[in-house]
Amino acid sequence: MALVVDAVDLKKTYMLGKIPVEALRGVNLRVESGDFLSVLGPSGSGKSTLLNLIGCLDKPTEGKLLIDGVDVSTLNDNQLAYLRQRIGFVFQFFNLIPRFTARDNVELSMSIVGKSKSERRKRAEELLEIVGLKDRMDHKPAELSGGQQQRVAIARALANDPRFLLMDEPTGNIDSKTAKEIISLIKNLNEKGVTIIMVTHDQHLAREAKRTVQMFDGVISSDVVN
Amino acid sequence: MKVPDVFAYSFSAIKLRKLRAALTTLGVVIGIAAIVALLSITQGLQATITGQLERGLAADTLVVIPGSSALGGGAGEGGGFGGGGIGGGGSTRAPLYINYTSQINALSPDIVTSLAVIQKSGYIQNGSGITRQVTSIVGVDFAQFANAYPTTFVAASGSIPTNPADNDIVVGARVSDPRLNGTLFVQAGQDVTLIWTNNTVIPFVNETYIAHISAVLDRIGGFGLGGPSDTGVYMPLSQAEKFFETDEADMIIVKLKSSDLDVVNRTSTAITNYFGNQVSVISATAVQSLLSTIFSTVSLFLGGIAAISLLVAGIGIMNIMIVSLIERTREIGILKALGMKSRTVLYIFLTESIIIGLMGAIIGIASGWVLANVVALFLGRGGIIGSALTITPILTPDVMLGALVFGVGISVIFALYPAWRASKLKPVEALRYE
Repeated sequence: MALVVDAVDLKKTYMLGKIPVEALRGVNLRVESGDFLSVLGPSGSGKSTLLNLIGCLDKPTEGKLLIDGVDVSTLNDNQLAYLRQRIGFVFQFFNLIPRFTARDNVELSMSIVGKSKSERRKRAEELLEIVGLKDRMDHKPAELSGGQQQRVAIARALANDPRFLLMDEPTGNIDSKTAKEIISLIKNLNEKGVTIIMVTHDQHLAREAKRTVQMFDGVISSDVVN
Repeated sequence: MKVPDVFAYSFSAIKLRKLRAALTTLGVVIGIAAIVALLSITQGLQATITGQLERGLAADTLVVIPGSSALGGGAGEGGGFGGGGIGGGGSTRAPLYINYTSQINALSPDIVTSLAVIQKSGYIQNGSGITRQVTSIVGVDFAQFANAYPTTFVAASGSIPTNPADNDIVVGARVSDPRLNGTLFVQAGQDVTLIWTNNTVIPFVNETYIAHISAVLDRIGGFGLGGPSDTGVYMPLSQAEKFFETDEADMIIVKLKSSDLDVVNRTSTAITNYFGNQVSVISATAVQSLLSTIFSTVSLFLGGIAAISLLVAGIGIMNIMIVSLIERTREIGILKALGMKSRTVLYIFLTESIIIGLMGAIIGIASGWVLANVVALFLGRGGIIGSALTITPILTPDVMLGALVFGVGISVIFALYPAWRASKLKPVEALRYE
């Protein structure tokens, strides 16, 4: 199995005004292709920071982080952007572009990569069918429920065949019934071979993953296979 | 991201804020319209004046007037319309006598001939004796004058006598038809009274005499320096000498063998030197070059004022782009999380300003052109300049292209800073932005 994430003694220090805040104090984590990992921890434990680093949205202060075999600390902004094209983000607040239809939102990530219009359209429709939104493709986010919006976001994240999906509280803003549907969709995707790293503070949700990583105070306190 | 996709994305962002985009575009429209309107009117005016000047002042003639200054030196040189004036009578100047023509003729082989002109302000009174109008009474040798101005000293009705009787006169088109509406004040074949106030004696004396109109000239338009004019009354030179009791010419018109610039300059200098700089020599080329200097200065000045309004529009663009940048911080974060490069974010913002600038410039050029025509219509109706001058606005491809480039350029320049700031947003912070 290929290693998609390999973090060695990862540290991240923020400056909160003039006070340095150690958000990560030496994290070691390996995620293999096909894995379904949940990162659990109270707020302030550093799980969001870890997510940002793995998502190449931010750079570590110290330590080594290989994403898909590439050491991110050596990359410039452009190269980081390029690497992000191979990562699928799913956010708690969906983060869809409100003026775009569901289909256009899914197409957007492919247009950023430079795919042709016809290819984008075909793939977007396929993906929306997979997430069960075939009949709502021409609806804008405001015309969709939270669960539906998150499905669009998942379809968007899958559009460029990412190395892994990075999910930040994917059900945090959705009612529990819909959340169950989203979880089964995520599990379904994983069964089809999609690698998933999911950050949550929801114990029940975390148990759905193959593996649970518990974070506390900037370090990984436990790493167990469910 | 492909260029059409960048355009489509920018366009969708503009469409979202239609009113705001429209108002910003309006700023550009006003600036560009002002520039285009001013420049096309100025260029039209210049073309009109130059055209009329060419008719009134043949390129192969020089006009010598008493007094130094005016457009001394000939073509190409600056100078000003000051001092000397044209056809006025100042007592301190060295007079220019009618018989100087023979001396001027002998000055250079480039000179074909020269003719003296006596020109005074007077009145013409028609047969009814009730109405009179101001005119300029000009004494010239008809044959020579016709020879010097073959295209303008042409009869529309009657005929210009080659050997005129003393009381034969020729009148300009607007002497016959002052309002150019067909209501004739006088016409060929009629007898009229010419009145000139002799102010060289005290008390002033009104000299009058009955003259016979043998011809009315074709309409010339505008004004002529030295040459025939629509408002002139022309009498034989010998009669003018008697009537005005003078042997001084108000100007001497010199006809040259060619309109070549060298010939014009050389002869101008020769004449000026011969009279010890006590005369001024005006040539069509000198007047034209002076006019074009004046017009380019005026264009630059007016264009500059209009450009300021465009600058204000640019600040407007910068303003909405910054607002848009703040509003869309989160969106930029999403785009970056999806793998968009900073450079592409920069392009998206610049493209928005290009779209605004382009729309503003195109609409601005069109509305500037309409504005210029409306203004020209009002001016042409005799508003400010008088009905003698009709302006046809000219919009050259240069001005159009310049306005387009300027409009888009200003938009892009003012969008650079907001676009740069947008591109530099850190994805983590941008995503966290509420």
